Amino acid sequence: MHSLILEAILLMALIAITLVVIFDKDLLAAVVTYCAFSFITMFLYIVMGAPDVAFTEAVIGVISTIYFVISLRNIDRRCK
Amino acid sequence: MTNNMSGISVFLADKGIYFLTAFLLVLGIYGMITCKNYMKKLICMNIMQVAVIFFFLCFGQKNGGTIPVQVTGLMGARHYINPLPHGLMLTAIVVSLGTTGVGLALLTRIKEKYGSIEEDDIIKGENKF
Amino acid sequence: MAKKIKNAIPVVIIAIVLAAAFARFDFLPSIGDPDAPAHTRTSDYYIEHAVKDTNSPNYVTAVIVDYRAFDTMLETTVMFLAGLGVVILLASRPDPKARIIKPRKFTENREHLGAPAYQSINKDVMIKIIEPLILIYAVYVLFHGEVSLGGGFQAGALIGMVYIIDTMVSPGTISLIRLPKERSVALAGAGTFIYTLTGILTLVGGGVFLEYGKLPFSMSFEEKHSTGILMVEVGVTIGVMATIITILNAIHERARFDDDK
Repeated sequence: MHSLILEAILLMALIAITLVVIFDKDLLAAVVTYCAFSFITMFLYIVMGAPDVAFTEAVIGVISTIYFVISLRNIDRRCK
Repeated sequence: MTNNMSGISVFLADKGIYFLTAFLLVLGIYGMITCKNYMKKLICMNIMQVAVIFFFLCFGQKNGGTIPVQVTGLMGARHYINPLPHGLMLTAIVVSLGTTGVGLALLTRIKEKYGSIEEDDIIKGENKF
Repeated sequence: MAKKIKNAIPVVIIAIVLAAAFARFDFLPSIGDPDAPAHTRTSDYYIEHAVKDTNSPNYVTAVIVDYRAFDTMLETTVMFLAGLGVVILLASRPDPKARIIKPRKFTENREHLGAPAYQSINKDVMIKIIEPLILIYAVYVLFHGEVSLGGGFQAGALIGMVYIIDTMVSPGTISLIRLPKERSVALAGAGTFIYTLTGILTLVGGGVFLEYGKLPFSMSFEEKHSTGILMVEVGVTIGVMATIITILNAIHERARFDDDK
């Protein structure tokens, strides 16, 4: 199913999430928002008609977020 | 869906989606330049990568095409989406996982040596500027 | 005032670049056009002859594992090298003053991970129900990669995720399988070796490197292609799985959960 208006809406949601990630002062909130970003890109790939890529992105997005959260254990959560 | 494309669909197909993709890429670059925390720079790198992959997948679209798995009875190359960008992007996503891992390993070592991962503290610690 | 000007310079430069790019977007093809230059060279050949040449109805798998198998071999090597890089970076003994975060003092009653409430969730739900389902699904995706969606990358990442769940959920964060980072990076090398071994077998059979039609087995042409694709995907699965386990173990050793004893 290829619908251009749906892709445009999802892309605008991605841009909004990116602004949250850049301007947030708490690192844990930024990492969890990155997990939401990965989730919405998975929907975007399905709408584009690429289910193989969507499957891979779903699994690897979760694993990448887990790496970020584990390595956040050594680091302060505040950010200037 | 293939023949009655209204005005907004034509605008989106020609320039709108490319513009939104370029905007996402440029936001990623801006985040990498402006954020003073090294972990946010790593997250913005992954955001840039999503924009590039989406740009590649845009080139493989065909009006009225279905997913690239063979359906019995549907012959001809006109009815299937181009499978070549999908193959290249699978490799790109998996390699980005390795890049994130190496970046986080470097981040751990930087934290142990300098005590923080803010850019100002590290420049002060280096005492070069 | 000078700080405001300094903060605004990246925004101005990026706005100029974006406007210049937007004005020249007319050289890009419109999305969905079936006569775009991306569709006219080799993709038509791949779509029309995939089932005849490689016996695989999934065109994406046919492209990445059969027509362009050399790229996937080097991609598996890159994954192995990334795991190796992480092991080398984090191989030294960490400085005790720099590593341990100060454990916070809780004054109220706190359940630690070995308590009976946690243990029933870990053992009854995660380890008994969820992990076997994920493993069965991963093996299904690996073996059906050429008929429906799936393939080697997805199966390897799913098995890696099972290991991550196991480590996170066990009390004391010791998992059921002890795989320190040196052994798992050797396993990733074994995955790359299996891939290259398939290529060398085809050289022995008398063909070009990674031409599955000339494997030295006694099968028909289609079965040789299916067997070749399966062996190669097992190599990719082991490589991706071992790299995920390696990176997890390497980062995990440095972040000790001190206040969970």
